[in-house]
Amino acid sequence: MKLDFEEVSVAGLTKSYGPTLALAGVDLSFSAGSVTVIQGSNGSGKSTLLWLLAMLAYPTRGEIRYGKYGVSRADGLRGRIGFVAHQLQLYPGLSGHENLLLAAKLQNIPYAEKRATDLCEALSLGEYWDRPVRTYSRGQAQRVSIARALLHEPRLLLMDEPATGLDAKSTASVVGLIEQEKQDGAIVIVVTHEAKFASQVADRVLHMDRGRLVEPEA
Amino acid sequence: MSTLRAALLVALKDLQLEVRTKEILTSTGLFAVLVVTLGSLAFYTDPVSSPNVAPGVLWISILFCGILLIGRSWALERENDAVFGLLLAPIPRASIYIGKTISALVLLFVIELLLVPLCLIFFQIEASGIMLPLLALIFLGSVGFVSTASLFSAVGIRTRARDLMLSVLVFPLVAPALLASAVATRELFAGATTAEILGWMRILTAFDLLFVGFGVWVSRHLLSET
Repeated sequence: MKLDFEEVSVAGLTKSYGPTLALAGVDLSFSAGSVTVIQGSNGSGKSTLLWLLAMLAYPTRGEIRYGKYGVSRADGLRGRIGFVAHQLQLYPGLSGHENLLLAAKLQNIPYAEKRATDLCEALSLGEYWDRPVRTYSRGQAQRVSIARALLHEPRLLLMDEPATGLDAKSTASVVGLIEQEKQDGAIVIVVTHEAKFASQVADRVLHMDRGRLVEPEA
Repeated sequence: MSTLRAALLVALKDLQLEVRTKEILTSTGLFAVLVVTLGSLAFYTDPVSSPNVAPGVLWISILFCGILLIGRSWALERENDAVFGLLLAPIPRASIYIGKTISALVLLFVIELLLVPLCLIFFQIEASGIMLPLLALIFLGSVGFVSTASLFSAVGIRTRARDLMLSVLVFPLVAPALLASAVATRELFAGATTAEILGWMRILTAFDLLFVGFGVWVSRHLLSET
């Protein structure tokens, strides 16, 4: 059963990989219908935060709450989370269409084909829909990855550098899709280095440095 | 979604990829033919002693092909971090392990369908009357081996030393099943009846149940944080 939530909050969130402290006690909350952009230098802990929120890693210390639910309800929460990771998490031997249909079946979406077709049109995937992903450019594969993250109409949408490799037209499509998700009440968290893209989508911008939230440099 | 349905989706995805690329079957199949051919040329002496040698060649081929095949199957999951696409889905973690094990077994059976006749021909072993118990032995031996190797491949998906770990940990663990399979096959080739090798089959069945059960139980935790 898919669980619903209106807010995501983290308290004292800490993650270390051996001696390396990736996140050092982060406290944050994200509410429905908002877009939060997280910026920071490489290794500042932005992507780690997304991985923890996607429940692909466990915190060393601290807690994540999805509304009233904790990560112990992961099976019900996963169906409400969409994640565009930096590595695109697609099977290169399958076409974009097959990758999306596999994700739709695993998400148990009854109207999979229609939803996939709608996203295909929104992201202009049509030209290379049936070609193996390994023949795609980075931007084309990125669009399939974004479509996969949106397929199941997630409540929490996590995007790690979603505009990487996209041309101006595709970037505009992604901005439109993020706006649409926000209108639909999703919690959107975007990690990006691209200032223009950030300014187009952000309701609030956070900065991270060495695993902590910091004030932006003047 | 039920564990079995999700496992079938994962397995079908693997088989679809293989039908598309034929990468695993081509490389592993050629390797299998090479091992059996080399084994038959190097060890063949006469029709009397060949039934003693053939089981070793057959099971060494299955072991090496299985390791190659399973390694390649999990490498597909590492490419582009695709396994995380599965881990993001609201499916039981064990279904990923079960699905990968099913697809590896299907592919290994295809290779074995090539290996067994080759082995029987090269070592001049009379096939009549032994095919059914031989296939049953191969099935039982393969299930134990593949379930164990898949489990350690799942463990090692984010480990740099995965190949070393696979070889160092899997070979000793599957040794009892492989030894039982090889000895039972030797007895069968030497003229034993199905009833006479039933004890070996029971040992293999127990091993399979133990390792499949252990794999399903452990994989829930192993794949939770990779």
